[in-house]
Amino acid sequence: MRRFITVVGIISILSLTWMAFIKPSADQQVTDTLRVEQKSPVIDSPGEDEAPEFSGIKKFWEYTGFRNATIGHLGMIAIGLLFIFLAIKYDYEPLLLIPIGTGILIGNIPFFQDGGFNLQLGIYQSGSVLNYLYFGVLKGVYPPLIFLGLGAMTDFSSLLSNPRLMILGAAAQIGIFLTFLGALLLGFAPPEAGAIGIIGGADGPTAIFLSSRLANGINLLPDGTTVANLIGPIAIAAYSYMALVPVIQPPVMRLLTTPKERRIRMKPPRSVSRLEKILFPIIGLLLTSFISPSSLPLLGMLFFGNLLKESGVTKRLAETARTSMVDIVTILLGLTVGASTQADIFLTRESLLIFVLGAISFVIATAGGLIFAKGMNLFLKGDNRINPLVGAAGVSAVPDSARVVQIEGLKADPTNHLLMHAMTPNVSGVIGSAVAAGILLSFLG
Amino acid sequence: MLSFLPFIMLAGIDRQAGVIVVIGYLIVFLVLVLLYLVFRYVLPLFFKIKLYRRAAKEGRALDDSELNVMTGEVNAAIATAIYLYFSELHDEESNIITIRKVSRSYSPWNSKIYNMRNLQR
Repeated sequence: MRRFITVVGIISILSLTWMAFIKPSADQQVTDTLRVEQKSPVIDSPGEDEAPEFSGIKKFWEYTGFRNATIGHLGMIAIGLLFIFLAIKYDYEPLLLIPIGTGILIGNIPFFQDGGFNLQLGIYQSGSVLNYLYFGVLKGVYPPLIFLGLGAMTDFSSLLSNPRLMILGAAAQIGIFLTFLGALLLGFAPPEAGAIGIIGGADGPTAIFLSSRLANGINLLPDGTTVANLIGPIAIAAYSYMALVPVIQPPVMRLLTTPKERRIRMKPPRSVSRLEKILFPIIGLLLTSFISPSSLPLLGMLFFGNLLKESGVTKRLAETARTSMVDIVTILLGLTVGASTQADIFLTRESLLIFVLGAISFVIATAGGLIFAKGMNLFLKGDNRINPLVGAAGVSAVPDSARVVQIEGLKADPTNHLLMHAMTPNVSGVIGSAVAAGILLSFLG
Repeated sequence: MLSFLPFIMLAGIDRQAGVIVVIGYLIVFLVLVLLYLVFRYVLPLFFKIKLYRRAAKEGRALDDSELNVMTGEVNAAIATAIYLYFSELHDEESNIITIRKVSRSYSPWNSKIYNMRNLQR
């Protein structure tokens, strides 16, 4: 509880600071640009009677971070430090939050960029190293590689032993579609709303993949305007909420289930043959990609990675995919997504709305899984009943939400282990959110 | 599911968005339900047929134990029992004690007389 209050308290303080200094609208941006244009000649042309050494010092001062810092930069640095704090102190997704937090620090070091001057430093400045690395995010290269690693490290035997729990993974995807509607109601364009909606899938790579296709700042809307670039806010929101799964989910789980329901014991999973494990990625790939071909980059790689693991004859490839390769991509993805939150581009009203919608969609997705599991129990009896907590793992934050289910299950009954059962909706949630991303892409792309 | 459409439209959202939500959610369900059906009914049936054909080839009837599926817990219990059995085998010793003679051949490198300085008397 103390942990919850600490996290919520820090986030509220940062949000209030953010709201106080947020860019109100596009008009304000225009005024800022005008002001910059007026200011730039002063920098470029020092006074004629000024001594050259003073001119050099002045120029150096103009280039330092202290001269160029804004309250937005400082606010974002505080958020980066919060991420690092959460990762180290509370162990919330440290593999993600440390690279993202550091990326936020790197992306928000203020530097001279008046009048569009290109020092080739920032992530949005062409020719900079960060810009080259950001290419993988912009073009959706990193997410399929993450999925390859995910496939190579996931054991689907829990899913194969009790396949009916897969449906819970579908139920939890309600978060995606309701958030899509919510974003439309708040005035986002349909492609932007689709990209925002996918936060409800609780799957970082999928969120990046879809936002890089739908809300990339390049595509044109039917009215001729350009779609907003929301990759940064969506990715940060998705990964932040994934890291905060242990904070967000338990209150919803306790609210929607009774102590008696939380103590329900489920039948132990059966053992699964090697042939079944080999057939799963092949059948899964063919079935899902025939129905939703747009999700092929994600699901194709997921099932390919799993086949590398389960075939038993490509151990070296599977080992590389699940260790070195996924680690490298995670570092690059985390760092560049973090760095993409450059204050002058990231701190907007839209970003704040995305964060609010993301939190709501996580709660809806969790509730969707829980309520559906309770609904299934109406038709099941005896040993076949499902512990509704397992439904909460339908959000595809693998394996965090399954771990949260296990912890909550143990709190209700210290001898009731739900981890293996929760892994089924968890991994099927990954498949479900990738399919949902494919559907949104085919409708809105 | 389609009955939600009027509510979505009442909320002031475009009809197409409503269609995306309804169709999209149904497709997600369809994919996972199809996977469920394949792995719950089709594959087990395929395995059962395979077992029957093998038994028929060997000219015997299928045993019930062959059709029953063991849970992971049963497997774990069997594995633990086997592990304990083999680890306990260590207690049965042969009771023959052999002392192996360790001999080192002489070498001037380990000789003590060369380690000390020969002081003149």
